[in-house]
Order: sequence, then C-alpha cells, then structure tokens
Amino acid sequence: MSFFGFDTSLSGQNKGSNRDSRKKANNRKSKSPEAAMDFEDTYQGFGEHEGEEDDYLNDETFGNATELGADFDFGYGKGELEAVGQSSVSQPALNRSYASAATSTGSEMPMSGYHTGPAHIMDDGMDFTPMESLWTNQPRAMPPQQYQQQPEVQVLSMEELERQQQLQQQHPQHGYVGGVAPPPPVGYGYPPQAFMPQAGYQGMPQNMQQGMPQGLPQGLPQGMPQGLTQGMPQGLPRGMPMPMPVPMPMAGPPQRFSQASHAVQHQQPISAGQQSGQASFVAPGSSQSPELSQQSATSSTQLPTTKSPVMAAPGLFPQVSKPPQSVSSSRGQFVTEQDSRESTPRGARRGSMRKPQEPLSPEDLKRLQIRQAKVDKILRHSGVMTPRDKDFITRYQLSQIVTDDPYNEDFYFQVYKIIQRGGIVGESNKGLIARAYLEHSGHRLGGRYKRADVALQRMQSQVEKAVTVAKERPQKSRENLDSAKEGVLGKISSARNSKAPRRQLQIPLQKGDDEDVSSSAIEDVVQSMNGVDISSSSKTRRRSSYAFRSVDQRAVLSRSGGRKFVLSLIETVYAEVLELEAQLRSGKETDSTELWEALHIADDAYEVSPFISILSFDKGVKIMPRIFNFLNKDQKLKLLYCFFSELSHLNIIVTSSYKTNPNPSDSQLKKLELFQSVFLKIIVSFLSSSAEFLEVLGLLLALVKNNNVSFISTSKIGLNLITVLISRAALIKQDVSRGNVLSSMEASSWNEIYDKLFTALETKLAVVFPPDEYTAKVVTASSSGTVTSATAGQSQKHQFYDQSYIWQFLASLALSGKLNHQRVIIDEIREEIFGTISRAEQLLSSTPAEEQQIAMYQRDKLYQDLNLFLNVMGLVARDGEISELK
Amino acid sequence: METPLDLLKLNLDEKVFVKLRGAREMTGTLQAFDSHCNIVLSNATETIYEFLEGELKSNTKSSEMVFVRGDSVTLITTPSEE
Repeated sequence: MSFFGFDTSLSGQNKGSNRDSRKKANNRKSKSPEAAMDFEDTYQGFGEHEGEEDDYLNDETFGNATELGADFDFGYGKGELEAVGQSSVSQPALNRSYASAATSTGSEMPMSGYHTGPAHIMDDGMDFTPMESLWTNQPRAMPPQQYQQQPEVQVLSMEELERQQQLQQQHPQHGYVGGVAPPPPVGYGYPPQAFMPQAGYQGMPQNMQQGMPQGLPQGLPQGMPQGLTQGMPQGLPRGMPMPMPVPMPMAGPPQRFSQASHAVQHQQPISAGQQSGQASFVAPGSSQSPELSQQSATSSTQLPTTKSPVMAAPGLFPQVSKPPQSVSSSRGQFVTEQDSRESTPRGARRGSMRKPQEPLSPEDLKRLQIRQAKVDKILRHSGVMTPRDKDFITRYQLSQIVTDDPYNEDFYFQVYKIIQRGGIVGESNKGLIARAYLEHSGHRLGGRYKRADVALQRMQSQVEKAVTVAKERPQKSRENLDSAKEGVLGKISSARNSKAPRRQLQIPLQKGDDEDVSSSAIEDVVQSMNGVDISSSSKTRRRSSYAFRSVDQRAVLSRSGGRKFVLSLIETVYAEVLELEAQLRSGKETDSTELWEALHIADDAYEVSPFISILSFDKGVKIMPRIFNFLNKDQKLKLLYCFFSELSHLNIIVTSSYKTNPNPSDSQLKKLELFQSVFLKIIVSFLSSSAEFLEVLGLLLALVKNNNVSFISTSKIGLNLITVLISRAALIKQDVSRGNVLSSMEASSWNEIYDKLFTALETKLAVVFPPDEYTAKVVTASSSGTVTSATAGQSQKHQFYDQSYIWQFLASLALSGKLNHQRVIIDEIREEIFGTISRAEQLLSSTPAEEQQIAMYQRDKLYQDLNLFLNVMGLVARDGEISELK
Repeated sequence: METPLDLLKLNLDEKVFVKLRGAREMTGTLQAFDSHCNIVLSNATETIYEFLEGELKSNTKSSEMVFVRGDSVTLITTPSEE
C-alpha cells in the first residue's frame, strides 16, 4: 500500500539489474588509475545487503548533514515544472505504469525523457553525500554502490548533441591533469563530461555548471552538468573535453555554486525513497532565489574553491534552479574525493550505454508530453516517505479506527449502525471497518493498476497489526500513569481551545496511585459507555462533560478558574446573599442581579462553569438554599440547566461513582449526604412546585445530551438526579393526561428524549448496580463513622447497603418506557433481580437465631425495593418467587 | 485589596493545616479567624512532636472545636492530601 496511491512495492524489480551493473561498475572503478584508493580494498560488502535502500537516508533522517532550519522541497521545484512543459519527451514510457516509473531507479530513467536528466546528474553527487557521515571510515563502501547507476540516465537528443559539439569547438579545453586524453565527442554516446582545469581552478566547475546553460536552450544543460558539478575539483578526466560555452565569471561565486550543487545533492536523498532522482530536478531556466547565495555563504564548505568575493548577484545564475532551501554544509571535501574516484568509470559506462534517440513525430511528442506531465504530477511527492514510513503511518491510522473491542470503542459507528439499520450491534465490526477501508483504498490503488490484490493483502496484514496495537493500548494507558499526555493524539480537543486558553500555570502535582487508578477507571467508563448525540449546538462554549479528567478535582477547579477563584466566588456569593437577606429583613425590594452574576452561571470564559465548581465545596452546597430564595424562576431554570449540562464535572458525581471512587471515605460519604439533603432537595422541590413539563424535559435533555449518562448512572447522586427528572416528567404526564392537555408536540418530544436516554443506558443498565466490594466498603465506612443514608439497618451494627435508589431509578425508567423498553430493562438486570431474591432468601437461613429479627427486616427491605420496580410491570416478588401482581 | 487574611478567608469552612510553635501541627476545618491570626478549628487533630531518647515521637489529640491563639501560629496552609 502506498500513501500516495501508487505501488511502491515494485522497487524490488529493479534491484537485480542494478546490482549487476553495480558490480561491473565496481570492477571498472577498481582499475581506474585516478582513484585515490582502490574500492575493492575498502569495500566491505555493505552494498550486497538486501533492503539497504531503506537505510541510506539515515543521515538525512537524523540530521547531521543539514543545517538547522533548512527547508526541504519534497516535490518538484517550481522551475522543474516549467521545464517539463518545455522539454520534449524523447522516449516514451509506454508500457510502464506510473507506479513503476516512480519506483524505478536511475537505470530505467531514460524512458522518462531527457528532461529528467538533470536530476540524475545531480544524483551522481547526491547519492553518496547522505552517507558521508555514516561512512567516513569506509568512504567507498555503500554510497557509490548504491547509486552509481544513475548517471547513465541522460539521453541527449540530436540537436542537443550537435549544440554541445559546437560549443566544445568554440571553447577550447582548459587543460586537464589526468593522463587520459579526451576522446573526441563521438556520436551521441558521450555526455559532455567536462575536463576541468585542475590546480587553482577548483572554482571553475561550479561556475561552469551555472554558466553553461545560459546561452543554451532549455533542454541542453541536462546532459552536461554531470561532469561539471561533480568531480571537477579534482580535475579528473571524464569522458570528454570540457565544453565551456559561456564566459565564466571566474571570480564569481565558486563556492556558491559548489554549495548549490550540494544543495541539490542534498535534496536528493530526501526524496529518494524508491525513485531517486525524480523529485530533485535542476530545471534550467528557473531563477535562482537569493536565499541560495545566503545559505551557501553561511555554510562552510570544505571544497577548495577560490574564495573570491562574491561579485555576481544571485540572479545572475538563473539556471541553478534548485529550490535553495536545502543547503548542506561541510560535505564538499567528500564529494570531491568520491568524484575523483568515480569519474572515470562513470564516464566510460555512460558512453557505452547511451543509445541513439529516434526523433519523434510531433504527435508522439505531444502525447508524450501530456503523459509526462501526468507522470510528473503523480510523482510530485513520491518518495517522500519510505515504505516503512508508510506502513507505520497506515498502521497508526488504522489503529485509530480498528479495535479489538469495537463495541465499546467505536461508539459512533455503533450508533450510526443502529440508526441506519435499526439492528443489533454486531460483533465483528472491525472486519467491516477494515473492509470498508480496503474497498476504498483498494479502489484507488488497484482500480487502475490492478494491484488491488496486493494492496488488499497488505491492508489485511496492516489490520492485523493494528488490532494488535489496539489490544495493547489499554494496558499501556494503565501503565502510563502520566495521563497528562492524554489527548496528544487528537482524541479530545476540549482541554484547551482558543476560547478557553490556558489561564494559569498548572503545576502538575504528584498524584497518588489511587487517583491514577480512578483516572484510568473513568476513562474506561467513558470509553466503554456511551452518551447520545454530543452535538452541543445549543451551547456556545465547548463544555463537553465528556472530558475524562473530571476525576481530578484540581483539574476541574483549574478549568473553571482555579481553586482560589472559586473560593473567592463563594465568598462573594455569601456576601451577596447576606446583603439580600438584610434587605429582605428590612422589607426592601431585592435585586438578585449581582448575586446572579456572582454565580457565573452564564460565564462562558471557563471550560467548566465556575458554578459547578462552587458545588464541589461544602460551603458552596450549603449556601444554595439561600441562593434559591432570591432567584426568579428563569434564573433557577438556567442554573439547573447549567447544572445538568455539566453534571459529569460535578465533584460529587465523581466521588459518588463506584467507578471513579472505589474506596469512598467517611468524609466523602458525608459530603454525599450533605449534597443529597441540600441540593437534591432543592431540585426536587423546584421540579415539583414550579417546573413545567417541557422545562423538565429540557433539563433531562441537557443531561442526556451533554453528559455520559452511563457514567453518571454509576454514581448514586447521578442516578438520583436522573430518577428525579424522569419520575417528575412521568408524573406531570400522567396528571396532564387526565386533563388531556398534553399536546402531541410535547408527547413526541418526551418520547424522543426518553429514547435518547434509553439508548444511552441500553446495554449498560447493569452498571447501575455497584459491585459488592464497593457496597461493602460503603457499609464499613458508614458503620465506623456517621450513619448516612447510603446504608440502611435497624442499628448501627447491622448496616447494609441501601439499594433502594437503584430500584427507584429502574422503576421510574420502566414506568415511562414502553413494553419493549421494559423488556430490555428486565433482560439486562435479570441477574440482579434473581440475585436480590436469593440474597433475601439466604438471609433467614444464614443468620443466627438471635439476629433473625434483623435479618427479617433486611429481607423485607430487599423485597420492598425490588417490588417497587417489579410492580411497575405488574409483577411482584414474594418468598423467593416472582408472580403477577393481582 | 487582598491582604493575607483575605486569602485566609477563602479557606473558611475548608480544611486547613496549621503549624504551631513548639513542634505542633493542627489539621481541622477553619471556622473563624481574626487579625491576630487567632483561629477556631473544628474537627481538629493536633500532632505534637517530641524528641525523646534520640527518637522522634508524635502524639495526636483530637478535639471537636478548638481555639488556637494567634501568637503561636507560624503557618497556615491547605492540607497536603485529604
């Protein structure tokens, strides 16, 4: 599978031939008299390994060779694209797919037309430069092996060759050092390998490269720069005498151009995954940008160039078109060595491999140009990543969508499926997802190039890997106690956004183990449970209560302005209330505006409403009844709307949930008790006294829509609140029904909201029952400390966990539901029902005689609670059996 | 506008940790304070450290409501962990 849609797996096809010719080249090279060292002496066989092409970019990857901040052009430079349009395509790549074109290495490149020439010219230098730092001790090992094939790519057209010959005649050679006499330019076989004046002239080659094309047509330079860019400093004889077409500004920027060529070389490795040379083109005619000279001036080159002052403006050298972003420093020395080593064999090889070009008919040319343009477009960003990179990214992406627990983790998909098909959620959704993914990408990949099968296989293995990764993920998250990294992968965006930027320094405090456990626990809950329709379009601020961090009270506090801020709010509220009460006593009119503002209920500046955080302090809860005395109905509704919308952030929910707080302490239970007796009471009285049916529905909707209902239902307070809302709605509905006032709109919206609530709870109904360990702990804490309503019993010694609130909830849920709802409820909690009955029956037999009375009480209580629920459906449990209610 | 005691006011009805002269510490719910830093704590636990025979020993005392005279208070903060 390829990230960009063509098949990169084909590279292997070219390897063999490359290797063969590479060996030949080695032999040739070893005989070169000019070589400073014998290649075979130092060659350690590194090039024989398979798959080395993935490694040679290490230098680039790890950044030794690049200047910091260098900006790479991963696609074609701008000038290159222009060149594509201008150059005539000499040789069609008729039978090749784009993909194979992309993956082909230099030896195949002639097919692409000679405008690709410059790239390969550059390849010569580039190929080994990335390896420099890696191979300094064995300079000849890998780099030449890898890429020496590419130079023979250049193919010159007839006109071009003729022009070159003319130029050569015009410009006498500057003398060469090597003993090899320059062969006459025979046929087209020879690229214009330049002979360079040696000592004292090192600066020249670079100048020549730049100077040459100036007077020449666009297409020409491609064949030429080979010798010029590389190797020249050593003055080694290449195949041909040096054509010096243009008067060279000798004093000009020699080092600049050495840099430029290095820049181009440098470019190469980056883009050279499979198809080196494609991405980095020197496009003649494109203008050189000023940065190049800047960068080259700053970078240190070891090339022994003449350090003459820069006389020419950068603009004078338009043909050095490489986007100047990548300038490598400190590699000149090496390049020259390698060039000297390589120059001879390369020239010879190239000459032998050149083939005459048939002139093409205009139609062919046009067609090929179009085709070439297409190829270029496709190849634009090819080779940016190695296959391994692509694999990794694909796997990573897949691991985001594939899971071994799709039922829990792919919530949206599940919901979508339910909505679409109305069916029961299947078990193997991962297969579905994978297939959908494969179908999609398979089309892109295989549709045209018939590689769908390969792509499918690859994808399937990717899916397997992804599943493995997904399986490992939960454990990792548990191991990784630092949950501060949460959201790094884009899971949650509510942590901070432009509306609620970081307001203060958050110093991460060392968290205890317990907190971490509960933190991951709530994450589990949140992940494994689901809410309904998170669209919070009704809210201006992004205050999703789905945030996982609410367990950590400090985090919630800081997201609502900080502890100090909330505490000062409470003080302000107290002051306001005292003021208002004083006014009330003296018989004045009271104005609650300031009090309302102090509550910050409509304050969108904080991620969590400060009001919610006020409620996490006991004194904040205690003041609530007095606040309610001064609020009008509208304000109360707004307050409650805010309260229910952000219920998940409420500290008391978190501490009363067995999932997030499995070890409730005595003080926490007391807090719970306080909240129940104070705030719950206010809500109940408000709902029963003044709330309209639609207002109750609105509050319920706020709760369902903005919260993870399943999580809330694991806490006693949360369950109480839901119970209050739905039972109130049911009561009003019944009252209204008698008077036949309930409009169809109200009825339908009630049904809709109930369905939402039920969908959120469905399949998770059993979690409303806390596990035995939790209830045991509550009982222990309760017995040792103050007796709270969490437990029931005749004496402090014989407390047991009071489950009545659960059965109340289930009863009211069933009461409002239709028959199929009730069926689902019974299905899901069947075990709990029978468990309760058997527990009740065992009580009598297992308790000693003297405690029979206590056991009788407990048994009655159990039956009483259970029957509260069963009666709704016309059933009754008595003496271990369930019968119909008569 | 904010004096140290204003900040202390924020912690009314909250648990506080008080360090006292004479190697004593107290934890309790802050009920009241004044400008002399006299404070009233409820549900307070006092820890008294002693250095006996080369060993550090501590005793704790609990009281439902306690008045602490301000001249012995050296530090007031929120308790490290509940």
